[in-house]
Amino acid sequence: MGDDNWCSDDECNYYYDQNCDEVFEVDDGAGIDSVMAGYKRPTTQVISRESLVAAQKQDLRRVMEMLSLREHHARTLLIHHRWDVQNLFAVYVEKGKVALFADAGVTVYTNSELSSSLQSLSLQSSSSVFCEICIENIPSHQVTRMECGHYFCNQCWTSHFIVQINEGKSKRILCMAHKCNAICDENIVRDLVRKKHAETVEKFDRFLLESYIEDNRRAKWCPSVPHCGNAIRVEEEVCEVECCCGLQFCFKCLSEIHSPCSCQMFELWANKCRDESESVNWITAHTKPCPKCHKPVEKSGGCNLVSCICRQSFCWICGEATGRDHTWTAITGHSCGRYQPREKLAELAKKNLYRYMHYHNRYKAHMDSLNLEGKLKETMQQKVSLSEKKHDSSIRDYSWVNNGLSRLFRSRRVLCYTYPFAYYMFGGEFFNDDTIPKKERERKQNLFEDQQQQLEANIERLSMFLEEPFDEFKDDKVIKIREKVLNLSAVVDSLCSKMYEVIENDLLVSQTIAPYKSKGIEKASLLNS
Amino acid sequence: MIDFSRVQKELVECGKDVEGSGIKLNIKGDSLARLIGSIPGPIGTPYEGGIFKIDITIPDGYPFEPPKMQFTTKVWHPNISSQSGAICLDILKDQWSPALTLKTALLSVQALLSSPEPDDPQDAVVAQQYLKDYQTFVGTARYWTETFAKASSLGIEDKVKKLAEMGFPEAQARSALDAVGGDENLALERLCS
Repeated sequence: MGDDNWCSDDECNYYYDQNCDEVFEVDDGAGIDSVMAGYKRPTTQVISRESLVAAQKQDLRRVMEMLSLREHHARTLLIHHRWDVQNLFAVYVEKGKVALFADAGVTVYTNSELSSSLQSLSLQSSSSVFCEICIENIPSHQVTRMECGHYFCNQCWTSHFIVQINEGKSKRILCMAHKCNAICDENIVRDLVRKKHAETVEKFDRFLLESYIEDNRRAKWCPSVPHCGNAIRVEEEVCEVECCCGLQFCFKCLSEIHSPCSCQMFELWANKCRDESESVNWITAHTKPCPKCHKPVEKSGGCNLVSCICRQSFCWICGEATGRDHTWTAITGHSCGRYQPREKLAELAKKNLYRYMHYHNRYKAHMDSLNLEGKLKETMQQKVSLSEKKHDSSIRDYSWVNNGLSRLFRSRRVLCYTYPFAYYMFGGEFFNDDTIPKKERERKQNLFEDQQQQLEANIERLSMFLEEPFDEFKDDKVIKIREKVLNLSAVVDSLCSKMYEVIENDLLVSQTIAPYKSKGIEKASLLNS
Repeated sequence: MIDFSRVQKELVECGKDVEGSGIKLNIKGDSLARLIGSIPGPIGTPYEGGIFKIDITIPDGYPFEPPKMQFTTKVWHPNISSQSGAICLDILKDQWSPALTLKTALLSVQALLSSPEPDDPQDAVVAQQYLKDYQTFVGTARYWTETFAKASSLGIEDKVKKLAEMGFPEAQARSALDAVGGDENLALERLCS
């Protein structure tokens, strides 16, 4: 009975997602007047060494067409505006062409100006020209006039270019005249330098090319080590991406993916975990003192109810003594997802330590589970292949196992990072917003923790069903498990999405987080060269 | 490779106008790579009357790279290190243009003496004093000019006499002044130690 139902539900998920993409693209296109209309490209793209030229050309062409410019002028403008085409157009609309060009050091002659300036040079061409740099008279055919009107001998220009390129100033080689703000024509630079030092031209070209990544807010090198050679270009800076080398990372801060925790919070958290790794980390992450005999207890496997050799049972998550009656998801009469300040501990430091331990334990527990991803996947594959070989079974489709597993990993990652988020959000140490009354803040914290607990419970249930030895079960039992897995997957997905919503809309004021992606981290598509 | 022909031309050019600008350029050793420039302290400033010597090193890439300049005469100025003589001036760094010359650079240094920029200091102590206690700054700057930038103008005989009046034997005062190159204060230090 469940089959059709669940399939359609799954489709529903995907449909919802496509919707999301569409909204995004419309938003993007509506950015700036008619120029931008109809301009569309995939949201994230991998730019390889080979396609870097093509990627840069895309933006150059837009500026060249809009302002009817030659390529080197467009490049100078874009480097000045850090490859932000929209910002460039905005300045153009606001301040006009003259100011736009002057700021960037671009000199463009109209046809009549050009011819008159050429004339003035040709007037001198009969004799020789005085070069102010080498203080010599130079035959006029060995003299080059830059677009700003200043002219010097080719030898001086060449030396100047080579010094500037070697000093790493390829992207902004100024005219040699004192206080002249004009950028030298890259074609002249290339032609003159090539005659003397061809390798330096390569260097110059590489700097101009890589400026597209180095100076561009929307493009960054993939942070893989060793470097895969690729860069990623996005439309929206706050997002998480997967490079074609397989590395997933936060585009904004280039660290591991960490949403719904904000970049700022995650940086603090990562540093804190590193700093305290020697003492707190080890003690809290590897052992728990038994509440009765105080011996350190290590969890070897199974659920969260642990029993010490002294026969005392306690909750692995919070370390509190409990009874023995429990299920996979809960211990009877025990709830510890909420943080309760220990009033007895007067010293603030100790309180903070416990607070940190509380969140760190949960963060670490889910992180450990995530790290076993590969192993779990393997055992699941075995179970699937065993099931598929069963002769007495009519079930052929086991895609729900993999889908459920992916959902489990994705949502566990989300859950994992809600703990550092909560640590900073409700700590009062940072992010202390006095404008919101205490009651209101408490209400928000409760709402968040409710969401978090719901998510946690459902994730554990999903995990439980997936770990059932379904390869040993009869068809009717397998169908039941499948039903549960599909159902829970959908629930967990919507809870994750809700979690992001709560964080973005209700809690974070000044920070943004990468949007929730139901289908997992977006894989950047390859840009064709 | 240094373009010595340009340095040579600059030396000739500068030599023609010593009377007008007061700016001198001399070769330090036997290479054109090391020069000594000297500029008169601008009139109407605490540096008036002093002659300031500047050590100039011509880099390989000159004139496409800026020359290195450093005061050898001690100066009390917010943009010049009172310890090392290092100069904080944009045209000697990123605002250098090959169209500038040693003479124009020295003129800019001279202009810097007239108009300090305490917001972009090389010497924080001096800059603080300039901003908070301008009178003391002027006093110190003038005293340093008198002591260090005029050492040669005050005759050796006068200094010997001065030290003798303090009670040092004349011969000792003379040899102490000789040993420190005519600096009165340093000679006094030497005599006392």
